[in-house]
Parts: sequence; structure tokens; C-alpha cells
Amino acid sequence: MIRSNIIVLDLGFGDAGKGATVDWLCSSEAGLDVSAVVRFNGGAQAAHNVIADGRHHTFAQFGSGTFSGVPTLLSRHMLVEPIALASESLRLTTLGVPDPLSLLRIDGRALLTTPIHIAANRAREDARGSARHGSCGRGIGETARYALDHDAPKVSDCLHPNVLHAKLQAMAAHYGPLIAPSRHRYEPIRDLVDMYREFATAVRIVDGDELARFAHRGRLIFEGAQGVLLDEWRGFHPHTTWSTVEPHNARALLAEIDAPAYTLGVTRTYMTRHGAGPFPTEDRALTFPEPHNTTGPYQGPFRSGHLDPILLRYAIDVSGGIDGLALTHLDHPGTDYAATGYTTPTGIIDRLDPGPWQDLDHQQRLTDLLATASPILTALPTDPTSWLEQQLGTPVVLTANGPDRRDRTPAKRVAAVA
Amino acid sequence: MGYGHWDDTAYRAAKTFRASRGVDDFGYTAEMQGQPYASWQAHPALEPLGVAVRECRDSDEHGNSLPIAVLFDVTGSMGRVPRIMQDKLGKLHGLLQRKGYAEDPQIMFGAIGDADTDRVPLQVGQFESDNRMDEQLRNILLEGGGGGQKSESYELAAYFMASHVSTDAWDKRGKRGYLFIIGDELNKAKLAGRHIRGVIGDHVRTDIEVASIYRELAERWHVYYILPNQSSYFGDPEIAEHWGALLGQHFMKLDDPAAVCELIALTIGLEEDRVDMHTGLADLRDVGSAAEAASVGKALGVKAGPSIRALSRGRG
Repeated sequence: MIRSNIIVLDLGFGDAGKGATVDWLCSSEAGLDVSAVVRFNGGAQAAHNVIADGRHHTFAQFGSGTFSGVPTLLSRHMLVEPIALASESLRLTTLGVPDPLSLLRIDGRALLTTPIHIAANRAREDARGSARHGSCGRGIGETARYALDHDAPKVSDCLHPNVLHAKLQAMAAHYGPLIAPSRHRYEPIRDLVDMYREFATAVRIVDGDELARFAHRGRLIFEGAQGVLLDEWRGFHPHTTWSTVEPHNARALLAEIDAPAYTLGVTRTYMTRHGAGPFPTEDRALTFPEPHNTTGPYQGPFRSGHLDPILLRYAIDVSGGIDGLALTHLDHPGTDYAATGYTTPTGIIDRLDPGPWQDLDHQQRLTDLLATASPILTALPTDPTSWLEQQLGTPVVLTANGPDRRDRTPAKRVAAVA
Repeated sequence: MGYGHWDDTAYRAAKTFRASRGVDDFGYTAEMQGQPYASWQAHPALEPLGVAVRECRDSDEHGNSLPIAVLFDVTGSMGRVPRIMQDKLGKLHGLLQRKGYAEDPQIMFGAIGDADTDRVPLQVGQFESDNRMDEQLRNILLEGGGGGQKSESYELAAYFMASHVSTDAWDKRGKRGYLFIIGDELNKAKLAGRHIRGVIGDHVRTDIEVASIYRELAERWHVYYILPNQSSYFGDPEIAEHWGALLGQHFMKLDDPAAVCELIALTIGLEEDRVDMHTGLADLRDVGSAAEAASVGKALGVKAGPSIRALSRGRG
């Protein structure tokens, strides 16, 4: 039996079912002997819905294996937001998870998302008016942006209140001109520092060796946040997130401990997008029930469209290939259609070419192209599984015909995962 | 506005993190309960004996300090209400600021007992504008006790507020602060000189009329009395008559004691002319305090129908 770690990756714009997939992989039903769920991108804006044993939780910073008691490691690539983490731990407690904070390990090098970032994020997004980027208003972009050229607060600073205090004050001064005229505010810095000190005593702040320790004890599941099509360098600029969503960082972490990885792509039987940006197969006539995805004040409405193998193939290409596919929402009536090509002003195309990494001009050209593309739709067979396997050149190893953990079934090829 | 939900605050997060390592939010009370009753005393930070003055001062950061004092009855007749207060009041500051109901609020918490029968009949903290408020609340001793004679030493607390508190709001701007007393019983018949001497340490030889101390207090403070449900005398008309005679419309009954923060915040917002009743109640519903909004609306005398009237502006 191959003892491989698994990277779970959303091949669309998010909301494909990563959380439910990770929950299943961590469950005793799957029997995969998982030692930890590792988060390698994003932050508190993740919203991974898991329904299992009569419980529902939208996982944000806790890993989606929490219901099975699997610890979560927030890697150095995460943006950690302690206030939201506290609320999430309270919600988990009410769902019967005993002492959720004890399941967390946090890399001290991870960046801290603070109420100052959040106020700045919202002030900036408000100022964009109708040209907004589709931000969640959770300060993620500001956290990444500020850290580019400032000495930004990190999780380990919570252990050193004086250092943290100075960094927060510098940040407050930096953002003063943006926040002061806005309607957004944050609590006094002294209050924040006190709270971060409590945070540092309540969770385990670890160094880079923690990953190897977990890997020694069992299998690691890398839970990606958001979708590859939102990747900061590979997504459709500027409608992207300030986060490396493709598995580059996850693979680098595994390479550091010399451990193999199996990459599992996740997609629905149709496409969705929450927020602004190009979406060629969007069909506004589609109104699927979306109990856990609603219109957000900063994100805007939840959008749906037909299955799009062109976008999925692009996501697979920029991810350096995947090993298997998890196909969710098979219970859904779906749209019964999928795009086989796009009509564009310059002719019909059926693929998107990845440009050089970090070439935002190329990404902007893709965005412009997609804005003018209209899809050529084909009718799907009743069970789209093998059609999609053929389109994407990847085996479907896990299917889901419902939102619950028990709705997940390993396909015959699941042996490849194990 | 601000940080999304009122519950998503540094205060609440700190509390959650503390709880996860087993630190009780009612820490000082728990500590005292492990000791013989005869040795119970107020936490040093809240001990009124020998205090010259509690101050509410402007700072560079907060140049327009607004003093707010909340003193709640911790005697046995209050039932579980003191615990609810201790748990809920910590978010008052954030609530005032976030909704813009007060510019630079500085809040002091304290507790009231019975000077005839209790070990710790009065506790008064400091005016704070940060997490130390939370610490004050945790350090309040919930003694229980009380004398069973339907009166507590509110008048002693009123005396302290009138004679041992100094504020820049008044000294520099002639602006009154806010005092909220939360309780369920009557004042003692007289403000006893021996209580003042014993509990506060002032050399006062004679007893003082209760009404006169509240008159003096009203010169520098907007004084409110909140009678919360789940206490012993919520339905007793004598309580309403007694406090109505002293404070007029500043006597309020509150259906849901968990809504105390919302009631205080909105009362201040209205008095400060920062919000009208409609908007204020909508604000509360907006942040998920729908049940609290209903209780607050009722406490502030909102009737169904088109003519919603704001709180009385008080006397001058």
C-alpha cells in the first residue's frame, strides 16, 4: 500500500466541496490513518461546509478533519486571525467537539490578520464602489499586501507583547489615512495586544519541525482553501485572491520533509463563483439551492454556471497536474450541459494557455478573453463521470451524491489513493 | 460598521482563550469561596475604603472622555443576575464605540451590597477604556448575602459617586457623566454616618437624607436605576414607586437581564443625541440582538404604534 499524503485542491473558483472531501478522508470510514490536516493557504475567509453525524459546521481556520478529532496544523503560509478563531472554537464546542483549541498547532512564522487589516480592507473595498474585486472583507489581501514591504505582525509576536504592540502601532499609523475617513474602526491596540497574549497561551505555537513530527505519525491531508482559478498569479487578474491557491506551497512543504504527495482535484458537476470576475458558462437562469453560500455584503451574490472542462483543464495545468478527481454534487439535477469550446472574437478556442508564472499581463489578457467568450455547450450523459475523466485525463476516485459524509463513495480506483 | 458582529470582539476572543485554559470568568469570587467567610474582602483594585478619588481623565488619545459608571447589586435577592451582568457588561465599551454612541467612553464597574449585613457592601473599580474593564468585572466579588429587609446600600454607593469621583468631563466641560445602578430593592431609610465611616472611611458623624444625596448626585450625573427580571422584586410596585420618586423616568424595568449592555448603550446614545429610538433599536436588531432589542424597547417605554417617543431628556 502506497503511504501517500494527499493534497486536496479545488479546481474551480471555490465551494466545490473540499471541506466535505477532507472530512471524509479523515473519517474512520475512509480508514486512511490521518495524523493531521495541514492548511497551506488563505485564512479566516475559507468556508468549508461539513455535514457529518447530524452536525454541520462551516470550517474556516480549523481543518475539516476536526469532527474526527484530527489535529490541524496552520502552516507558515497561512494568514491567522485569532478573533475569528476564538468564535469558531466556540461554535465547535457547541457542536460537541471537546476543547477544539487543543487540536491546533500554529506555525509562529504565519502572518497575523488583525482588525486593523480588516478595517483597511473594508475601507479600500468600499472606496472601489462598483469596481470592487469581490473581496470577502476579512482582511486577507491587506495582510498579504502589507507584509510585502513592512515588518508585519506574525503569530510568534503574540508571545512578545512589546514587539507586537510596536508592530501594530506602526500599522495603525500606516493605515490611518485610509481608515480614518471610512466608516470602519478597530479596538484599541492595547486591548488587541492583551487578547493576542491570551491567544498565545491558549494554542500551541510551533516551529517548522512540527510537520515532520506529524508525518512520522501518519498521513497528512493538505486542505487547500478557495479555488485554483482564484490563485494570485494564475487566476484571472484582478479578480484573484492574495494567496497561492495552486499546490506549489503544499508540495514545497512536503519536499522539505521528503514526503510524497498525491493531488486530489475537486469539482462539482457544474461551476460556481462567489464574487466578481469572469465566468464564461455562467447562466443566470440557474438557481440551485445553496443553503450555505449566500450573498455577502462584500462578496456579492453566489453565481452558478455549466460545467467547464476548459477552465478545469487550465486549473490542472497550472497546478502541475493532478492524480485523481473527486466529483461532488452528483445528486444535483445539475445543468445537463458542459462547455466544449468558447466562441471568441478571434475564433473558437477550447483551451487556455498558462503564461509564465507571475505574469499579470498575461492573466489580464486571459480575463479580457474570457469576458468576451461565449460557451459552446454540449449535452452531458446522465452520469457525467466517465465523460469528465476523458475530458480531463484524470480518474474520478471519489464521488459525492449529497452534502453529508455518508454520501461520499470511493470509486473503484480509490486503491490508487491508498 | 466596524468589526462585523458585536460578538466578534477582542474582548470575547480573550474570554474564549482564557476559558480554554480553565481560567474562570468569575475568578475572584471562586477564589474567595475557597476561603472562610470571615476573611472575605473586596479585591484591592475595587476596595473603596480610604479612596480619596476615582478619576476619569482625558488623554492625548481620548480628549473627550465620557464617564460611565455601572454599579450592580450583588446580593442574594438578585438571583443569577449578577453573574449575567459580570458576563455581559464587558462588551459595553466596544458597543458604545462601534455604534458611535459615545466618543471616548471610560467605564467604571462596581458592586453594591448591604452595609448592615455584608462583608463587602461596596466595590468600586477605576474608569477604564480598555481590557482592564474586563479584569475589573472578573475581580468583582459576588458575595450573595443581603439582609432580607428589601433594602440594600444603594445610597452608600450614591454617596461615593457624589463625593469621591472627579471627572474632566465635568471639571473642564461642565458635562455630566452616566451612572447606572442595577438592583431590585429599596435604598436604606437613611444614609448612615457609620456606614460611610466604616466602608468608605470618611469622618461623617450624622445620617443623611437619601433624597438629598441623589439630588446632589444628579448635579453631575445622569442617574438611572435598572430593575432586571429574574431578581426577587421585579413585580413589586413599591420598588417602582420608590425609585420613580427619586429618579422619575430614569427608573427602568428590563425584561431580559442579558440585554443590559444594549439598554445602557442605547440610553446613552439617546441622551447624547447620537441616535434616535428607531435607528437605535434597528441597530440592535442589525447586529443580531433582536431579542435584546425587544427588551430594550420595552424598557425605554416604546409602545407599538406610529408615535415612538424617545427617552425623556431628564431635568436640565
